[in-house]
Amino acid sequence: MSSADEKQRMQELFDNKRADKYPLQEFQSIGKRGVRRTDGLEKASGAAKYTLDVQLPGMLYGRFLTSPYPHAQIVSMDTSQAEKHPGVRAVLRHDDPDLQREESLGGHELNSVMPLPRVAHWQGEEVGAFVVADSEEIAEEALKLVKVAWEQRPFVLDVEKALEPGSPLANPEERPGGNLDTQGVYIEGHGDVEKGFAEADRIIEFKYSMGLNTWVGPERPCGVWRWNGDFAEVWVKQQRPHICKRAISTWFGGLPMNKIDLHCLYQGASFGGWSQMAWNLGGTYCAAVAAKRTGRPVKWVFNRREDFYGGEMDTGVFYFKVGAKLDGTITAVEERGVVENQTMVVFGIAKHFLENTKIPHVQGRTEGVWVNKGPNVPTRCEQNLNTYALDLVFNRVADELGLDPIDIALKNDGCEGHDLAWLNERKVELGFRARDSLRECIERGKAAIDWDNKRHPPGVKTLPNGRLHGMAFTWTHEWDDSAGTCEIGIYVERNDASVTILGCRADGGQNAETSYCQIAADELGFPVERIRFKHQDDAGFFTMTPDTSTNLTVNGWAVRHAARILKEKILGAAVAPRGVTQLGGFPPAFPRKRAQELDLKDGVIFEKADPSNRMTVADFVGPSGAQGPLMSPIGEPILAGKEGLAYPMRLTPPMFEQAYQIQRGTYLGARLRFCRQAHFMEVEVDPETGGVDITKVVTVNDVGKVINWEGCEGQAYGGAYMGAGRGRTEEVVHDGRTGIMLNGNLLNYKIPTLMDIGEIETILVETGMGYGPYGSVGIGEDVATVLPVLIGPAIHNATGVWVEGYPATPARVLKALGKA
Amino acid sequence: MAAVEERRAVSAATVHLMVNGEAHAIPVQPQWTLLRVLQQELGLTGTKEFCGEGACGACTVIMEGRPVLSCMMLAIECGGKSIETIEGIARANHPLIEAYVKHSCMQCGFCTPGFVVTAKALLDRNPSPTDDEIKEAMVGNLCRCGTYPQHIKAIKEAAVVLRGGEGRE
Repeated sequence: MSSADEKQRMQELFDNKRADKYPLQEFQSIGKRGVRRTDGLEKASGAAKYTLDVQLPGMLYGRFLTSPYPHAQIVSMDTSQAEKHPGVRAVLRHDDPDLQREESLGGHELNSVMPLPRVAHWQGEEVGAFVVADSEEIAEEALKLVKVAWEQRPFVLDVEKALEPGSPLANPEERPGGNLDTQGVYIEGHGDVEKGFAEADRIIEFKYSMGLNTWVGPERPCGVWRWNGDFAEVWVKQQRPHICKRAISTWFGGLPMNKIDLHCLYQGASFGGWSQMAWNLGGTYCAAVAAKRTGRPVKWVFNRREDFYGGEMDTGVFYFKVGAKLDGTITAVEERGVVENQTMVVFGIAKHFLENTKIPHVQGRTEGVWVNKGPNVPTRCEQNLNTYALDLVFNRVADELGLDPIDIALKNDGCEGHDLAWLNERKVELGFRARDSLRECIERGKAAIDWDNKRHPPGVKTLPNGRLHGMAFTWTHEWDDSAGTCEIGIYVERNDASVTILGCRADGGQNAETSYCQIAADELGFPVERIRFKHQDDAGFFTMTPDTSTNLTVNGWAVRHAARILKEKILGAAVAPRGVTQLGGFPPAFPRKRAQELDLKDGVIFEKADPSNRMTVADFVGPSGAQGPLMSPIGEPILAGKEGLAYPMRLTPPMFEQAYQIQRGTYLGARLRFCRQAHFMEVEVDPETGGVDITKVVTVNDVGKVINWEGCEGQAYGGAYMGAGRGRTEEVVHDGRTGIMLNGNLLNYKIPTLMDIGEIETILVETGMGYGPYGSVGIGEDVATVLPVLIGPAIHNATGVWVEGYPATPARVLKALGKA
Repeated sequence: MAAVEERRAVSAATVHLMVNGEAHAIPVQPQWTLLRVLQQELGLTGTKEFCGEGACGACTVIMEGRPVLSCMMLAIECGGKSIETIEGIARANHPLIEAYVKHSCMQCGFCTPGFVVTAKALLDRNPSPTDDEIKEAMVGNLCRCGTYPQHIKAIKEAAVVLRGGEGRE
């Protein structure tokens, strides 16, 4: 194929008009306020069940031994006292013959991990023994009776010290040559930064560091296993039930997929986090072995502290060199990041300069370094470092040049070194209206926070209460990682013609199920109240969960596709004979009509030319059982997306090649993101204590098209709280002398309370320039990811000084002020 | 080892609890929390454990009219007490439930019952709370999803319904 043909093919593939070939003419529930949450009553009334709530007859409880040292191996272990302890039913040991093989135990894809290791690489790691008893308390008591001879090893906790010659090795088994992850050096960029620096009027250099923060899932990690004969019944607290089932099917020499009954109940959220950990099925594996031995179901649980090991992958130290012209044009950005325990370094640190700006010269180098702490994984989400970099560079340049950061954002907006005019051409080329998303977001946000009147030069405004007033702004693109796969089943129930969507997905609370019901309802011509998404049991259809940062942008297409097929089948069956049963024949409901002459609205089939010729779908599908009209097309689940089932995540064409190619940047070598977001923060800084009050946050997200207003707004204000916590108070602290985590609890690790942000205003913009159904993009990860270090520019605007470390605790603010 | 022996030296006991208007006589171990008894002995799993040490409010129940943290109370010390859990509040069709659904006060939903129970205790003692009074009452309840702004709206609306429904806010 010639390159011209290839370009033509890609344009057709990407063309939004073609992808959305039959757009809905009228929305009934999509984009309407007040659509009732499908899970609302369950969750408000305490009826919603989580894996931690599962109680089964005869169920036992499993707890792990954890390492008291940051780096140590078990030399010998005596479990005899624990085994004799009343109520203990099984003790699994690391030298158990059934636990000597590496298994696939979690993470993004299949992997190979020892279920019960002998060596601990961080304090608190689950090693050595798994005790199963009649209760959690008895298991806990028995663990205290396990006698272990540990051989302690030298350890290192600081990423930069870990790079120094002679540093202790954090994991000599996996990285005998040093702590730098040789697979974890990631370089990205374009242009020639030296050329860019030469073209600049000013050079700005700075550094920042980010402390360790983590997900703090309200429901502790847990899982349940029950053997029903040779059927395995499994409850997973995981965002990726489909990966879990796939991994489980490889255990014990292979378990047939159709003999694994998987339940994925409501999730006491982990925001990616726990669900990304490479060993997160270790407990389930040990529970399965113990359940086989005891003949009883086994639930394994972590305690609260154990949920604190591992964190978000934004921890590290970062160095910047930036070149800018006096008018605010940024000519070059060079960044080096030394990141801590990142299990997935490929996300880089400078990506948003590439994807989001016209900056011609960009160079990012990420060095993944391992220390003796838990692994860091994408936790709402993997883009944090990219967004922090954008935030701090734009605000530092504004400070250096004495300009408004908003003007600098608008001046540098673009894509892969191209300016906005180039990007606008691409919008039109791909079937979108060319709207200036960033400008629209900024105008809305500026008005909401009164930017033009309240913004001032750094360090000049003291409030009557003695505190210093500051304001800040940041921006980036929206992202919808649409390279996923999805299967959806949808069918009409007999008797009452309610509609059921089948697709096993983890509910993390985004109200996604309601959104899918809205899409199905509007596409089918049914009231939204009559649609249910049954998502908690594996019925053979796997959806994105949220998973790989993907949710609505993939599942939404699949639901829409399946609903359209179902509607076609209903209307096709309405004009065909429906068969003969014991009670008689069922002639066509609409004799002598063609399907094209019919339509569906409010659950009623009607003739378009004569709407009085109508029949409810309930009357049409009839009762279940022997009396019902035999009507093969209806009642069968309809598959969509089967072609995209294979993994791994980013390398397999998904159900819509369009989305996959966008993700890879196939078209013109660029990941073309058209929608933008802009966020504003107002603070008061107490110069005596270093305390910072966040008095107002304005979030503006161009979501393309709102499907569910309350869901989108929930992600915005919810993300604002999480972002505020990360930027201001949340930090897992380790004792440098012993390597022991000091604050693995909610008293000393401070997540935001209801009083931690004064006011939040959430604004949604709809430009329709997203690749999801109806022009939508995702919002779930955005605000929590973009907002955290915005507190730094806000503090700078208040005080005139830059904090260097985050979270911006009072101690760090006082240090910046020269008072500590 | 010492801890185990110490526990064996203390006897189990039967405690009498009135839970959501129903009388229960429950054999309990001395170290069992009220939360554990509600969840595992009575199957009332709507009361949740988040922090497990009195920092988050997810395990809140109403005891003798006051909100208490059930993870911080030993069941054996609750003999003769009257306790109201989220299940009781929902069964009574308290207006908070509908207000919470309407205002989408939940995301993952794990902490939501604790919020509802705390809010119910607030409305029991203060039928017309101001925004600041609501914040003060609810600040001990943590929500990792950050649903906070919605609770204030829902609690105010439920208060209006309880007062007779005048002038929806």
